[in-house]
Amino acid sequence: MSADAPSASSGQQRTWRKPPAIANPYVRYALFAAVAGYFVWAILSLEISWQRIMQGIPRAVTIFGRAFPPDFSRRSLMVDGFVESIQIAILATFIGVILSVLLGILAARNVVPRLVYLVGRGIIAVARSFHPVIVAIVFVKAVGFGPLAGILTLVVYSIGFVGKLMAEAIEEIDAGQVEAIRASGGGFFKVLLYAVFPQVLPRQVGLSIYQLDSNLRASAVVGIVGAGGIGGTLMNSFRRFDYDFALAILLVMIAIILLSEALSGRIRQGLT
Amino acid sequence: MILDIDSLSKRYGNGALVLKDLDLHIEGSGITAIIGSSGAGKSTLLRCINRLVEPSSGSITLDGVEITRLKGAELRGMRRSIGMIFQNFNLVDRLSVMENVLSGRLGFVNLFQAASRRYPQSDIDRAYGLLERVGLHEYVNKRADTLSGGQRQRVGVVRALMQEPRLLLADEPTASLDPKTSVQILELIGDISRELDLPVLLNIHNVSQARQFAQRIVGLRFGSIIFDGSPADLDEAALDQVYEGTAGTGDEDDWTPAAGRAAADAAHRPASAVKREMIEDRST
Repeated sequence: MSADAPSASSGQQRTWRKPPAIANPYVRYALFAAVAGYFVWAILSLEISWQRIMQGIPRAVTIFGRAFPPDFSRRSLMVDGFVESIQIAILATFIGVILSVLLGILAARNVVPRLVYLVGRGIIAVARSFHPVIVAIVFVKAVGFGPLAGILTLVVYSIGFVGKLMAEAIEEIDAGQVEAIRASGGGFFKVLLYAVFPQVLPRQVGLSIYQLDSNLRASAVVGIVGAGGIGGTLMNSFRRFDYDFALAILLVMIAIILLSEALSGRIRQGLT
Repeated sequence: MILDIDSLSKRYGNGALVLKDLDLHIEGSGITAIIGSSGAGKSTLLRCINRLVEPSSGSITLDGVEITRLKGAELRGMRRSIGMIFQNFNLVDRLSVMENVLSGRLGFVNLFQAASRRYPQSDIDRAYGLLERVGLHEYVNKRADTLSGGQRQRVGVVRALMQEPRLLLADEPTASLDPKTSVQILELIGDISRELDLPVLLNIHNVSQARQFAQRIVGLRFGSIIFDGSPADLDEAALDQVYEGTAGTGDEDDWTPAAGRAAADAAHRPASAVKREMIEDRST
């Protein structure tokens, strides 16, 4: 049926290959060499030694050995810690998402003047530049031990992530819809309400749920440096060599995270 | 209605002139069709009239008011008296048909009314009336992106009419539609123009449709008016002049993919320029 395909009948064979992503061969191979060179240098300079890994294994085995069976007896301590963590996470997500929407607008090139855009991007960049643990250390120093430091930390964390992605979502909206609302005589806020928000709403809800998920995890981590929640309890149990209690905490933590992931996955699926 | 455009020029950034020292006078009602190949400046001309695009020089007056000098609230007040319909409909996809229609009243309500969708009863009556007129009153709570192309453009027309405009700008309203639907939309625009005594400026690719529906035809080429007369005056020679040195005669049927045209338009009007325009407007 396909006996006379064009190439067969014309008698001329034209070949085709996908052009390389980096056209200049010198640049391309220099890049390969640079990557390989970096790995060699990094492995040599960081003294990654097989010996130390081998020594570490038996120590890890002892710790896990002492952790079994997990000790769930100190339930009230555990429940208190987890409840506090969840409270921190939810409150921080709520405040963080509201601030992120405001900052997202300020940091969207297509809706604000350039100067405002630069300030907005700057704030988001600062919020993103530190890991929550570092932010938590600063806030614990500033406002003292406890959940307040945790909430402030996670608000900053939320702004960094949700704010950036909101700004990018706003920059990708269809300009035609904005044009139509402006043509009908709508000012800045009416354009936001009628042309910008409707377009980014599904994205915003998805991001908020993801951030809640993320904050639940992070709230346990920032607790380790004294910002409230279950992290503190976990750290204390390690310090007192109560590895069985620590394992119990870790197991519950895994359970909660799996549960929240399943839930948020379900909700996000329903959105699209 | 008297629209007076006087030596209007526009360039995007440091690019070439899209409109060159253009003069146009439109008085009374009826449809004025603007023809010309992609990139001739048709869209830019319409957008200069309601200042979605900032003219580089020249003046535009509507009923004696100098549009080019308006700022802030005055500019928005002028915009609400000029309705506009678009090639890609530009409905807000995720809002309902009724919300889209009522958005035509945004220039009249305050921010709280807009946010809470509490529009005056008269607006709602008007919306239902117009939706019935175009046969879409049963779709009020449907999301705009669930409608067909023809239905969406009818919503676009209703949204523009909600503004009770003095002038209607139609930027290739049928270029994204199939030939049959195109004719329906043009008939709708024609009927409304007659009923409401509403002047319409219609950008259109299809010359035979321009002849059929317009009372006056303006031919644009590389940003200058090269023809201005009645449909009867537009003979082969004039048509050749309008489309000379540009691809396509413009007289073929609506087979050109809309996406291709949109891309051609976009090529002419770089995205960065469009963004800059949006920001410039922000500061007014």
